[in-house]
Amino acid sequence: MPDNNNSSTDDKSLVRAAQKGDMVAFEELVARHRDKIYARAYSMMRNEEEAIDLSQEAWVKAWQRLKQFQGESSFGTWMTRIVINLCLDQLRRHKRQRAESIEAMDEESGGVERQMPVVTVNPTERLERVELRQRIDQALSQLSEAHRTALVLHEFEGMEYKEIARTMECSIGTVMSRLFYARRKMAVLLSDLKKPQ
Amino acid sequence: MKQELQLKLQAYVDGELPDHEAGEVSELLAQDTEVRGLVSELKNTRAALAGFEADIKLPENREFYWSKIEREIQRFEKAETAVSPVSIFAAWRRFLIPASAIAALVMGVLMVGRQVGHEGAHRGPETETTFADSGAFTYRDYASGMTLVWLSYPAENDLLETNPGNRLD
Repeated sequence: MPDNNNSSTDDKSLVRAAQKGDMVAFEELVARHRDKIYARAYSMMRNEEEAIDLSQEAWVKAWQRLKQFQGESSFGTWMTRIVINLCLDQLRRHKRQRAESIEAMDEESGGVERQMPVVTVNPTERLERVELRQRIDQALSQLSEAHRTALVLHEFEGMEYKEIARTMECSIGTVMSRLFYARRKMAVLLSDLKKPQ
Repeated sequence: MKQELQLKLQAYVDGELPDHEAGEVSELLAQDTEVRGLVSELKNTRAALAGFEADIKLPENREFYWSKIEREIQRFEKAETAVSPVSIFAAWRRFLIPASAIAALVMGVLMVGRQVGHEGAHRGPETETTFADSGAFTYRDYASGMTLVWLSYPAENDLLETNPGNRLD
């Protein structure tokens, strides 16, 4: 059961306690960061059940590796990197399970997004926050895994091109291409979604 | 628009373009409507995505979500504890199996060597009683080609016959 006495303690103290085996302190850390960790997994996987499983797996891994955490970054950042790596592993498994020949072709040829006309009007301008969220949600689901991952790592994780390249094990040029096509497709999808209104 | 320029414009929007190239893009932006349009679209998409994740909430309550994590941690720790004694045994087994194999191999080589040694020309020295009743002994060293025969004098049997008191029984 959660211990409310920990609610005012900062992350660093909780981490120190958890490193000594204090499970209650660790549970408090989970409670504080669980939404962010789940959100990152969900953004990458687009599947609620898979995102819950991977985020929980990330917490178990974090407990096992807690002694390795030296505090170079914030605990939240450290946790986010664990869940990102787990999601990337899972996406690689997905990729092995099915041929991604179409995606590979798209990347080689520059993709259809490159030729699409520029969306001049901001399609999300007048949308309410909830509606905007739903539309972005749908649009993200329509991106390929590689394009979505590049977008999530850049826009949500704030990674630079070279860091994304290292994480995704590809060149900076590939990252730039993936990011560009992902954004162009998002713009078009958000624009298309607005039309029925 | 060329792909190279498109990616350069994107890098400009992301703040990843070196200063001198950023200056070039700024000039282009002032002159080219197509460039302006694409930069505007890229910025709009970035703006639309900003804060998107903050609205995503875990669809499970705190206790339920934690219970599975806790269970997994406990399961892992139990497994770790259970694995430790087996590991020592396994370590011994890992040592003993090759050690036994090496010992068996050495024994085999020695036995074969001995067999060959008995049959071959390079035999080690040996001693034998040539005539059991005569008290004559032969020493042969095959390596040096030496044979030494000696006789016990007086012969043991003769001595017993002449001095029966020397019998032990």
